[in-house]
Amino acid sequence: MIRVAVSGINAVDNPGPGVGIAKGIRESGLEVEIYGLAYDSMDPGIYMKWLFSRSFIIPYPSEGEEVFLQRLLYIKHNYGLDVLVSALDAELPLLIKAADRLQTYGIRTFLPTYEQFKLRAKDRLPEVAERIGVKVPETRVVSSYEELVKATNDLGFPVMVKGIFYKAKRAYNVGEATAHFNEIVSEWGYPVIVQKVVQGEEMNVVGLGDGEGGHYGLVAIKKLWITSLGKIWTGVTVHNENLLKATERFVGEFKWRGGFEFECIVSGEDIYLIEINPRFPAWVYFSAGVGVNLPARLLKAALGLDVERDWDYEAGKLYVRYTDDLVADMAMFQSIVLKGEV
Amino acid sequence: MGDRLTKLAISDEGFIFDPETGNSYTTNPTGLLILRMLKEGKGEEEIVKALTEEFGAEEEEARRDLYDFLEQLRAYGLVEGV
Repeated sequence: MIRVAVSGINAVDNPGPGVGIAKGIRESGLEVEIYGLAYDSMDPGIYMKWLFSRSFIIPYPSEGEEVFLQRLLYIKHNYGLDVLVSALDAELPLLIKAADRLQTYGIRTFLPTYEQFKLRAKDRLPEVAERIGVKVPETRVVSSYEELVKATNDLGFPVMVKGIFYKAKRAYNVGEATAHFNEIVSEWGYPVIVQKVVQGEEMNVVGLGDGEGGHYGLVAIKKLWITSLGKIWTGVTVHNENLLKATERFVGEFKWRGGFEFECIVSGEDIYLIEINPRFPAWVYFSAGVGVNLPARLLKAALGLDVERDWDYEAGKLYVRYTDDLVADMAMFQSIVLKGEV
Repeated sequence: MGDRLTKLAISDEGFIFDPETGNSYTTNPTGLLILRMLKEGKGEEEIVKALTEEFGAEEEEARRDLYDFLEQLRAYGLVEGV
């Protein structure tokens, strides 16, 4: 029996990837028990007993490495824990730093290096794009209102105004750009990225790098329908040679290790790199559904097992997200609130 | 004819899926016939002839329909300067 803990089980309107990862791992063919790691007693994954046999509240990474690791060791000591699959950006720096320690405790991971993790910052994208031979939309990094106005004068409207890690909003005039700038600064701080809007198809690739320049599979999709938060609701698999080759160059050039999402705009022959996420996206179950079970492969890679490398998925497969509901006993809520586990 | 067109998945009901972009389209039987013939590499005269035979259209009308349809395909980026 392999015991795996998965974080990001907040299957809400801005969902974490944990539930999708657990669904994939359940279909791995391995004998597994999956634990959910939650930051809030209302995280829906806690109540999905068919996916997570146990769930635990874990401390925020900001509380420090020791507190976080002690919680994992508590789980290991009391219930057994072989592998940790992290699904949230905020946990990654701590876990990357602690990966060797975790390994000595017998908790395996399959994470990017800290250098790779840092590539997710949007001000690093031009450098990444250059090294793999793709484009980035013309970009300005701004830290003041004056710089913002100058950037919009240079780029022309519409522009995208983005936080360095999160949030992206489109602006059609200086008023909108200023409002977005202020909102992003108040939430995420400086600097802010201002980008020319590129016309084309928004496509994303989910993949799993082997850490040596190769990969255990890629699946490219186009988002067909997104929510007001910009999250995918329906999508379709695509075979876009240019995009897949660019993704392979990315994995090869940076020897990416672990799950990732490569977000691009494809305009004819041109690929514009928009974002790199250093972990699986929330729609990662789509890969399992089309026969390239990346969560299961990540688990196998972490365990040092032989991992499949085929990724011959069909183009034209649809991904449909939907809302669902469940009923749980108050006893479950009581246990997670009072004991931090259920 | 562009490589793009040859990759299109075209169903008998007139549903078209572009595996490269993920875009899908629907068309009527006239469009379906034109697309299939373009995919097979057929030229203008052959397509016009097929349209008149299949749908009983006058040659001039069939040619106009073909031009209109090609213009739409160009607008969607599915063919280049046919």
